[in-house]
Amino acid sequence: MRTASDFAPENVVVGTSPRMRAVFDFVRVIGDSHSSVLVTGESGTGKEVIANMIHHASPRRHRPFVAVSCALFSENLIETELFGHERGAFTGAIREKAGRFELAQGGTIFLDDIDDVPLGMQVKLLRVIQNRTVERVGGTRTIPVDVRIITGSKRDLRQLVAEGKFREDLYYRLNVLPIVLPPLRERREDIPVLTDAFLRRFFRQRGENMPDVSPVVRQVFMRYDWPGNVRELENACERMAQTSTCGAIKLGCMAANLLFQAAPAAPAAQPAESPAVGPELEAVDPTPAASSISLDDRLREVEANLITWALRVTTGNKSKAAELLKIKRSTLGDRIQRCGLRVDDDEAAPPTTESPQFAA
Amino acid sequence: MVSRERVEGVLQRIRPLMQADGGDIELVGIEGNMARVRLRGMCAGCPSAHMTLYLGVETALREAIHEFERLEVV
Repeated sequence: MRTASDFAPENVVVGTSPRMRAVFDFVRVIGDSHSSVLVTGESGTGKEVIANMIHHASPRRHRPFVAVSCALFSENLIETELFGHERGAFTGAIREKAGRFELAQGGTIFLDDIDDVPLGMQVKLLRVIQNRTVERVGGTRTIPVDVRIITGSKRDLRQLVAEGKFREDLYYRLNVLPIVLPPLRERREDIPVLTDAFLRRFFRQRGENMPDVSPVVRQVFMRYDWPGNVRELENACERMAQTSTCGAIKLGCMAANLLFQAAPAAPAAQPAESPAVGPELEAVDPTPAASSISLDDRLREVEANLITWALRVTTGNKSKAAELLKIKRSTLGDRIQRCGLRVDDDEAAPPTTESPQFAA
Repeated sequence: MVSRERVEGVLQRIRPLMQADGGDIELVGIEGNMARVRLRGMCAGCPSAHMTLYLGVETALREAIHEFERLEVV
C-alpha cells in the first residue's frame, strides 16, 4: 500500500517528456490556489499521484489528504461515505460517522472516478461545492467544510456532458483547473527513466543494488503499449525485481504477455500499406531450416522506409506526414525516435530528398 | 495433430528477442496436440524464466492454433 510520503514531490518520479514537464510545471503554478482541479487520464496514468502532489504543493499540505474512489460504492454508499451519517440514520447505523468531506477538513479531498458518479449523486455534490457545507445522512445539522476538491476521471467529462450523463453545471464547478495526463504509450521517452526508478526502488526494498537490465528487455519495454500505463510498468518492474535469480534482468524475468505483445509480428502492428508484410506471414515459411531473418530489423526497416517516404512527400512536415500514415503526430515522433531516424526539427525542411536521414 | 511448422511459427515470434538476449527456445518434439520445448542459453536454468515462457508460449500457441492443448518445458 502506498503511503502519503510516496507522493511527496521529492519522491515522485519525474519523466522528461515535454508533456509531463508541462504537467509538473502547472502543478507548481496552481499550488497556491484553492480552486477545483479536474485530472483526466487513463487508468494507471497517475491521477492520484498528481492530486497528492497538488496537495503537497499547497498551503494545505499539513492538513489531511483524503482520497475516495467513487467507483467503489453504490449511490447510497457514496453518500454516506462522503457526507457521513447520524446514529440511527438507517439499519445498522449504530453510531454516527463523519464523512470523507469532514475528514478532509482544512485539507484536500480527491474524488477519483468522478465519471462513475450517478446523476442523482451529482446534484448532491454540486450543492456541497456551491454551499461549502455538508449534511450527514439522517441529520439536519449543516456542517461547514473547508476542503479543496480535486476530481479524477478516466473519460473526457465534456463528452459525458454532451451525452447527458454528466451535469454541465457540476462539470464547470469541477473543471476550473484542468490537467490531462497522457498515456504512457504517447510518451515512450519516459519509459527508461521510470523503469530505472521503479527497479531501483524495488531492489532497494530487498536490500540489493539494481542489476543490469538487458538491452532486449529495454527494447521490449519501449515497444510495448502499456494499456495499464505507469501502474502496469510499476508492476512489471516489481515482478522483475522478484523473479530475477541470476543477478541480471533478462528476458526470462519478464511477464510473457509483454513479450508476445511487443514482438513485432503481433497482428495489426503494421500499417496496411506496408508492401513487405502481409497476412500471409501466418502461413509460415515451409522451409524452417532456411537461414534466419531478424523479423525485428526487417519490420523496423519497413517502418523507417514508410516514415521516410511520408516525410519526403510532405517536405518534412511531421503533422502532415502523421496524417498520411494515419497515426498521431506524437506517435510519429516516437516512431522516428524508435527507428533512429534523424529529422530536421523545423517543419519547413527543404523539399529535397535528403531531409530525413538514418542516424549513423 | 498440430504441425511442427505452425508451432515453430509462434516460437519464431519471440525467438529473435530471446536470441538477442543470449538464449533460445528449441522445439524438442510434438505429440498429438502437445508440444515440448527446451530453453537454451541464458535463463535456461531459471525457474522464473520457465514460468514466464511456459505461460506465455502456451497462451500464444493456444491463440494461434485452435486445437493446441498443452506445452511442456523439458
